[in-house]
Amino acid sequence: MSGTNPELILEVRDLTMHFPVPGKRIDGKRPVVHAVDGVSFSIRRGHTLGLVGESGCGKSTCARTIIRIYDPTSGQIKLDGQNIENLTQAQLKPLRQKMQMIFQDPYASLNARMTVRDIVAEPLAAHGIGTERERTERVHEMLAKVGLSKEHANRYAHEFSGGQRQRVGISRALILHPELVICDEPISALDVSIQAQVVNLLKDIQDEWGITYLFIAHDLSMVRYVSDDVGVMYLGKLVELADSDEIYAHPLHPYTQGLLASIPVPSPRLARQKEEVSIEGDIPSPIAPPTGCRFHTRCRYAQPICSQEEPVMRDVGGGHQVACHLCK
Amino acid sequence: MEEKKELWAPFVATDEGREKIWSKERSFAQDVWFRFRHKKSALLGLVLIGLSLVFALAGPLMTTRSYSDQTLDYVSIPPWFRVYTMEDGTFLYLTSSMRPIQVAEDGTLGAPLVRIQDDMVTKKITYEYGADVVTVDYSQKPPAILDAAGQRMTAGKMVWNKTYPLGTDNLGRDLLVRLMYGARISLLVAFVAAAINLVIGVLYGGVAGYFGGNVDLVMMRIVDVISTIPLTLYVILIMVVMGQGLHSIIIALSSVYWVDMARVVRGQVLSLKGQEFVYAARTIGSSTGKILLSHLIPNAMGPILVTATMLIPSAIFMEAFLSFIGLGIPAPMASLGTMCNDAIAALRVCPYQLFWPAVAICLIMFAFNFVGDGLRDALDPKLKK
Repeated sequence: MSGTNPELILEVRDLTMHFPVPGKRIDGKRPVVHAVDGVSFSIRRGHTLGLVGESGCGKSTCARTIIRIYDPTSGQIKLDGQNIENLTQAQLKPLRQKMQMIFQDPYASLNARMTVRDIVAEPLAAHGIGTERERTERVHEMLAKVGLSKEHANRYAHEFSGGQRQRVGISRALILHPELVICDEPISALDVSIQAQVVNLLKDIQDEWGITYLFIAHDLSMVRYVSDDVGVMYLGKLVELADSDEIYAHPLHPYTQGLLASIPVPSPRLARQKEEVSIEGDIPSPIAPPTGCRFHTRCRYAQPICSQEEPVMRDVGGGHQVACHLCK
Repeated sequence: MEEKKELWAPFVATDEGREKIWSKERSFAQDVWFRFRHKKSALLGLVLIGLSLVFALAGPLMTTRSYSDQTLDYVSIPPWFRVYTMEDGTFLYLTSSMRPIQVAEDGTLGAPLVRIQDDMVTKKITYEYGADVVTVDYSQKPPAILDAAGQRMTAGKMVWNKTYPLGTDNLGRDLLVRLMYGARISLLVAFVAAAINLVIGVLYGGVAGYFGGNVDLVMMRIVDVISTIPLTLYVILIMVVMGQGLHSIIIALSSVYWVDMARVVRGQVLSLKGQEFVYAARTIGSSTGKILLSHLIPNAMGPILVTATMLIPSAIFMEAFLSFIGLGIPAPMASLGTMCNDAIAALRVCPYQLFWPAVAICLIMFAFNFVGDGLRDALDPKLKK
């Protein structure tokens, strides 16, 4: 690896996360789920990288591996210039202040037995910051920041609406003032009317504090709104990575084109004019991914080479990277 | 009908109003109590447990009798009985051992009569009764007192036993006092066994479930081994080493019963540890102990409490059972089980001797089950309406 670039808060190189399939054994070998397979990207300080892909493509696993809920099978994760892929949980603890996560399900991610005050103060308590009174004060400040009031602090999470709960989750992630926040589909469980509120809140806080986001979603239109760069994942691999405007204007990978075509158009007339480039079929099993290009089983432009040789990520100019044999 | 325009005006939602939570603010304990007291069976159970605690703890202080005090004159006297009304207006009760006892009008037992002569041929026993004599005829069943004319009298008037409200057992001991001591033993066993099992089972199961993998495998195989050995065998072995008594029963129950709790907690923790709030705690950097104690176990509290309250009546029952088969509390100490055992021999003659301890066991077990049920509902905020 080349020298550390201080511009980059997070560098991920060839990140691989395989899960053994419990129980099953084929010819003495234990099959594995190829959840994340050689993913590389980096995020600049204060920027947002959107990560999109359909369900089961490894976005969430990627996020959880980066934040070290899982131990990566191989690859490198550099947080703020420091390799964290082999650190023990105890060694990671001080680094956790730099990196926090917002979870997908606002109902499952808050402990039903704790008050909001205790939930939001937990990071402070875990890192031994402040006295009880100071923590309460900081919780109140943080809640005010996300549009909740002091009165909400003594309530239990189940008394809140989905949007309020997600804001509690955001408070918990941000109270330590982390440099990198991984947002694992923070809006997909929310009402459309609340989604904008939460996304705008995240953007406002980013503008104010200069936080970096790794924003995971399967809704491309929302990702375009929040992200500076967008990466598209398919079956554990990154297939295209480019500037947000660039990828929407000139999608190169057939999968990206299919994904973009799936965005609903808010006008029937425009929808009729739209070219039909939908993706057929289901995502193949990640236990036995297709050889060569993983997308060739569903790709309309597939050539013989696609099933034999695995395409590598190539820069096609202007930082636009794509992994496809057919893109020149 | 006049239209009320203001009712149809658009509602102006303020930001403040949108974020306000309109339900009343209550602390967790208030909340639990609020839901608990709205369940009648749970309240009934709580009252019953309270009453049995008062009965068992304060009861023995209010009497001068002890569980081992015997009055051989008053053997197997039921809580109520029929008395013979004598010519002079006094009352006599003929015991099952054919001994007349003087009884006051209100049911207080008096002195037994002194035997003068037992005529084995005519099957008549004569007793000294003041200046007079009283003859008991046992040539026919049941035995009866003869009147002055030599005719068999019938016992008519029903009287409640005022000296021994619940009667006496076959050794002339007060059943009420013995019941108090028996309930005391049962509750003691219940609480001690439950507390020990709760601590061991929750920690053991929690650790096994949280760490999973090989740790879980080894720990649960140990549990399997422990649970396959029969409890009676443990009790006998422990008694050989430590001697008979309460401590052996408590040690035996605590060394075995936690396995159920451990299994329940392990299952709960296994399913909870994949939830996002546990991942959240890990990404925050909370320690394993903190995650286990403040995230996993509180969320598993419902099943833990249900198991614990199921465990209390079963511990009570196990203690009674062991005492019943003679492995438990040594005589003369009373336990609900030994009381049942004592009563079995004379079940046909004195059924009340079995009735009281049996009722006590039932009530205590019911009460704990009801309370457990109520607590489970009350502790689960998801069930809140």
